[in-house]
Amino acid sequence: MENLQWQVPEDLYYDRNDYWVKIQRDEAVIGLTAFGQYNTGDILYLELPTEGTALTRGKKIGSIESGKWVGKLTAPLTGQVIESNQKVESNPHIVNQDAFGEGWLYRMLLQDPAEVAELMNATGYDRWIAEQIQKEKETTVL
Amino acid sequence: MSSSWRLLDTGSLSAAHNMALDKVILSARSRNLVPNTVRFLQFSPQCVLVGYHQAVELEVEEEYCRNKGIEINRRITGGGNLYWGDESQLGWELFAPRDSAGIPNRLEDMYRLMCESAIAGLKRLGVTASYRPANDIEVNGRKISGTGGTEIGDAFLYQGTLLTDFDVDTMIASLKLPIKKLEDKQIKSFKNRVIDLKEVLGYLPPMQEIKKAMAEGFADVLEVDLVPGGLTAAEQAMLEEELPQFQSPEWIYGLRTPQQDNELKRAEYKSTGGLIKVSLRLDQTRKVIKSAFITGDFFAYPERSILDLEAVLKNTSSEAPKVQEVVNTFFDTHKVRIPGVKPEDFTQALINAIEGTNNEC
Repeated sequence: MENLQWQVPEDLYYDRNDYWVKIQRDEAVIGLTAFGQYNTGDILYLELPTEGTALTRGKKIGSIESGKWVGKLTAPLTGQVIESNQKVESNPHIVNQDAFGEGWLYRMLLQDPAEVAELMNATGYDRWIAEQIQKEKETTVL
Repeated sequence: MSSSWRLLDTGSLSAAHNMALDKVILSARSRNLVPNTVRFLQFSPQCVLVGYHQAVELEVEEEYCRNKGIEINRRITGGGNLYWGDESQLGWELFAPRDSAGIPNRLEDMYRLMCESAIAGLKRLGVTASYRPANDIEVNGRKISGTGGTEIGDAFLYQGTLLTDFDVDTMIASLKLPIKKLEDKQIKSFKNRVIDLKEVLGYLPPMQEIKKAMAEGFADVLEVDLVPGGLTAAEQAMLEEELPQFQSPEWIYGLRTPQQDNELKRAEYKSTGGLIKVSLRLDQTRKVIKSAFITGDFFAYPERSILDLEAVLKNTSSEAPKVQEVVNTFFDTHKVRIPGVKPEDFTQALINAIEGTNNEC
């Protein structure tokens, strides 16, 4: 049972908070996955970490608003922000329109490249999505 | 066996107290210091609240509020500006872990469930209300409750307002809304977008009766038992610690996302079926229609369809192709009849307002 509905590019890594991670030597580009957007909906506001911000894997680094919900942005890896995408901060719809391209959120310098091994590859994330959908079907009361 | 939740009624408090308590209870729940909780809240004195990411100066008529003693504060939850009358509304809130049994992970599904639980409470009061995506509860197309939420750690807060005996005039005066406030006809039509319990029922039930019915609705839909309880000593201590921040100008006026604006844009467009008047609150920087208000001398069947169109336009992109897509999808998916007015007439009226042109055909 694999996910057929949401795009999961092969060349990226993924975490369980629905971020995609593109590794380029000791740097990473981070974005929100298509499945993450399915869960979140149309994004209205983004509060991204600024250049130089220290990131700790799994910790809150910013906020994201969709509908009338303010959710947290968490870091998939530990390191430091090199650049945040000003274009998506001023026009968050870009994330919904082009999640894996123009809609990237920030670039970071990795502190511990070994952490990458703890992320999922495309096959693993695909399977994880399918599990989440199945879980949702089983637990939703309405 | 259903689980037990705390039923907490904090009564009437200042805006800063209520906003601080949202953070305190949510933090306490995320740290497993308190049980899942339903909270009822009210405000005294009256206040206006902006959403977490909003800018006060773009959303609030500050001078009016200062002159009338209306407090201004910021929520930790999302959504738009709102006015809280002095005990003329009832706030309801739910605090629980995101992974609670029966709570959907997908936000839109979660909004629906939370709203359905409030609707069940309204039903006990004799009110037939329904869910209007994404976050509202309506009675015959008119909004009676707006909702929103946030999360800290693994716990969430979902909150809503219930208009009981609402002062629409003060709301209109205190907030920046998509209407020209000097035009009586516009104000009258705008008032028709909301409804309160007193108008639906023809009388206002005692507040305790309203709370009891709402609590029963939450308990029923969420399949939980509600046990009355107060704030814990830990929560009281956290409140003392958090309160100064929620009273500070840094919290109230500080900006989370600096790049935003909020302009009132209007246009009139003459179609075969009549004049379409569009008023928008527009964030030109971020290219977002924040809210829309559509009137005119055309006839729409059912009457509520224009209110539904306004609802789907809220927080959508203001770029022309997207506006066209939203309007076309609306007319494709709703049974709407407006003699002499085509979807493209609404699209053009909206684009004229967005672009600041006022062409007539």
